[in-house]
Amino acid sequence: MSRVLPVFAIVFAAVYALIYTLAVWKNYALFTYHPALNEFGIGVQKPKDGPAMYWYGWMATAGISAAVAGFIACLIPASASRRLWPGLAWLVPLCAMVFFAWMLRGYFMR
Amino acid sequence: MTTALLIVHGLLAVALLGAITHQAAALLLPTTRPAGSFTGRFRAVAAPGYANAIVFLYVFTAVLGGVIYAEYRISIRIVLEELQLRVANGSFELKEHLAAVGLGMLPAYWWYWRQPATEPGAALTRTMLTAMLAFVVWWNFLVGHIVNNIRGFGS
Repeated sequence: MSRVLPVFAIVFAAVYALIYTLAVWKNYALFTYHPALNEFGIGVQKPKDGPAMYWYGWMATAGISAAVAGFIACLIPASASRRLWPGLAWLVPLCAMVFFAWMLRGYFMR
Repeated sequence: MTTALLIVHGLLAVALLGAITHQAAALLLPTTRPAGSFTGRFRAVAAPGYANAIVFLYVFTAVLGGVIYAEYRISIRIVLEELQLRVANGSFELKEHLAAVGLGMLPAYWWYWRQPATEPGAALTRTMLTAMLAFVVWWNFLVGHIVNNIRGFGS
């Protein structure tokens, strides 16, 4: 257990940040929420009566992908998983945060 | 109902802000114990003891934020756009992404506080995860507070 948990945690953090970033950038939402209608729809849907919310769907896409990647990484032999750099757990999320600041720069710069 | 949830969300955020700031200060600016000054005592806490509470508070604050987020999209974001408050709008957009990225870091954060950082890279990983979560919590707290002030309570 003490070998598997850090492997899962590192892979989950890195893959989650990566997939979440991709999901936002390319709009790969697992589902769409229409708050004005209180309705959910599978995949990316256009706004109906009011705005469409993809944020929950992006997190679901990232969370499921990261969990699957984490479980697969736990199956890797100990000799290979020992080479996994723990810094991935913060470096990939840090890059994601910088990317979002860049992506939203239009709001802050005229 | 949304107002009540917003208040609980804010209260949880205050608790989370205090916990993560204590832990980050103890980690990044360690001091000798017993500390004499107020700031010294603030930094002299047992940092590992905060990890479980921080994970719990982060998850519950985020879940509550997610519940009231729909109301924000219908009632508040439109007003920010009409008033052309682009910085406030963009800051909130960044808040939602930082909150989501922070959620994904929690398992690693929890693991690296669960045991002594003896393996190579473990101390740096723990420090970076804590500092980044502290930044996310501070950003989200301030932006949420400011946006709430713009719209006004009960308006």
